[in-house]
Amino acid sequence: MASGKEQEEDGVYGGLHVDKHVEYVKSLDKRHNEIEYWMTEHLRVSGIYWGLVALHLVGRQDTLNREQVIAYVKSCQNSDGGFGGHVGHDSHLLYTMSAVQILVMYDALDQIDGAKVVSFVSGLQDDAGEVSGDQWGEKDTRFAFISVAILSFFGATDRLNTDGIVDYVCRSMNYDGGFGSQPGGESHAAQVYTCVAALAILGRLDAVDRERLSSWLAERQVACGGLNGRPQKLEDVCYSWWVLSSLQVLGRVHWIDRARLCDFILSAQDTDAGGIADRPGDIADVYHTCFGLCGLSLAGFDKFPLEEIDPVYCMPAKIIERAGLRSWVDKIPKSWNDK
Amino acid sequence: MSDSDSNSLNVPLKEQEEWEDVTPIPQEEEANTVCPIAYTDEYSDMMGYLRAVMAKCEVSQRALDLTGRVIKVNPGHYTVWMYRKKLVEELGTDSESELDWVTEISEIHHKNYQLWHYREALISRLLDPKTVEDLTQDQLVGHPAIRRELLFASNAIDGDSKNFHAWSYRQWIVRTYGIWDQELVFIETMINEDVRNNSAWNQRYFVLIGDGRGKSASEPEPPLEDSLADREIDYSIEKIILAPNNECPWSYITGLLLRHAPKKLYTTLLPKIQELAAAGSDYAACIASTAMYWSTLVDIYECQAKALPDQASALLDIARDACDLLASDHDPMRNRYWDFRKSQLTMSK
Repeated sequence: MASGKEQEEDGVYGGLHVDKHVEYVKSLDKRHNEIEYWMTEHLRVSGIYWGLVALHLVGRQDTLNREQVIAYVKSCQNSDGGFGGHVGHDSHLLYTMSAVQILVMYDALDQIDGAKVVSFVSGLQDDAGEVSGDQWGEKDTRFAFISVAILSFFGATDRLNTDGIVDYVCRSMNYDGGFGSQPGGESHAAQVYTCVAALAILGRLDAVDRERLSSWLAERQVACGGLNGRPQKLEDVCYSWWVLSSLQVLGRVHWIDRARLCDFILSAQDTDAGGIADRPGDIADVYHTCFGLCGLSLAGFDKFPLEEIDPVYCMPAKIIERAGLRSWVDKIPKSWNDK
Repeated sequence: MSDSDSNSLNVPLKEQEEWEDVTPIPQEEEANTVCPIAYTDEYSDMMGYLRAVMAKCEVSQRALDLTGRVIKVNPGHYTVWMYRKKLVEELGTDSESELDWVTEISEIHHKNYQLWHYREALISRLLDPKTVEDLTQDQLVGHPAIRRELLFASNAIDGDSKNFHAWSYRQWIVRTYGIWDQELVFIETMINEDVRNNSAWNQRYFVLIGDGRGKSASEPEPPLEDSLADREIDYSIEKIILAPNNECPWSYITGLLLRHAPKKLYTTLLPKIQELAAAGSDYAACIASTAMYWSTLVDIYECQAKALPDQASALLDIARDACDLLASDHDPMRNRYWDFRKSQLTMSK
């Protein structure tokens, strides 16, 4: 875990350009002369969530204006109780999750109508146990996790058919031990994260093929040290989160070469403008900045005291503790208490 | 049917006669500056009118055309897809021409998520599976609507061979209309094109075993017939030979047999891969230097030891030696994993 700070030049610690990344996140809401900013309007709430997690990781969570962010997030709640990605956008689980996560990080969850959120979320599960992202009906195991996670913030997971969720997730487990977006879907690291996280919250990690899955995850590391999301695909910084968080829950982070992963993540930084990209040489974005920093934290980068990140909720562990939701750790199968 | 581009993308809506009766709703100017309000003009113009017609739940051709323009420029805007779906339903727009429109969008935006789900909804409306359940597989594949969907998905895969939306969409079509045989042919073509395409290998498992829908996860895995197991072993080995370091066929055959025909791992797969590696040629030496070869051996010996307890001790010794080789020579980046794996290969298991 992180020890002290080793500053080489201003704001740079062991190659991590902390100050630049903070400036990068701060600058995101001022880029209204860039069309890209408006093209991503529909996921603005998630953009803020990613930025806020990044700031928390480097201990600069007070960078954004708390009241403004809270007011904005609240304005994204619709009459059905769900949240859209931006003001006036229809409700969707993805953005409801980001909204709730932001409010929890600002300790402001009580400022919204929680009962309506619970009602919106619990209404998205069908009789077969599968969960849609919105009223339109697209189903995906990500939504199984998100529905469970959101309701856990309100102490209301019993409003879901949790056996149905577990069954849906398990039916999405493949021959390689991984999980797909639906039964039959190819194993993908992001889906692995969501399925493992859902099972963790519900205390059903016994359903995971721990050895096979850990091995599959460990195989995501390629020669350059980066991680890919599926066999024979390119490495990408965001898998530093999806793969490592899953390995952390499984208790196997040490199965990958963490030093080489850290080097890979650092090499994907934009050391001029700040932010982290998907791989070296590409343009940075807030999503990869968030997950790159999460990856460094999970990999034990020790040249700067990064905050501990909860591998199930992708939020600071301290905050999950405060919310009373670290109990998933106690529900890990006892037989997993090995090295 | 395409958008009425006759009104030209370059003339702002606020200057078009057709839109005179509508007052655009601008981006909300709020006290909070977390999300400020300046836009590029064209996008701003379109979005203002879109918000206005959505707010009054307008159902009209011009609203439909407008959703098309917005989606063309920003297909990630999921709300506008939902509005378009409602419009198409209420206007009674021809499903075929709407499918053509989706195809147009997919050619510009290959990675878009929403268009697949939208397309699935359209085709379900167009072709109720119950109306074709008496057709043979050949007849189904020849049905114009189905043929078009298979082509749409395979074109997407041509552009991005691992596009998992496209592969999932094919699973949906195969499962909904029961056209399993043609999928195996498609998969073989794709694997011939690129033996490293893991999506194709995953699809092969799907065609062989199905995806378990309609069953509970707690039901036991169905056994695989010997002849099919043998066929898959030979097929996988043929592909292993093409690129020994490619994890896909190794992972596929091991996973398949472990779940559905574990005995075949050591009665059939094992001697065949050992034969490959022992041939004494440079090529054989190559196979014997891959992490996949040795890691498969560990899996097989572990399985065999469980099944044949009186041979377990000797088998586990070999498996442990294989772990050492992996940690030191063939897969050193994962040496901690191999040390752990070795420690687990004990008689008490």
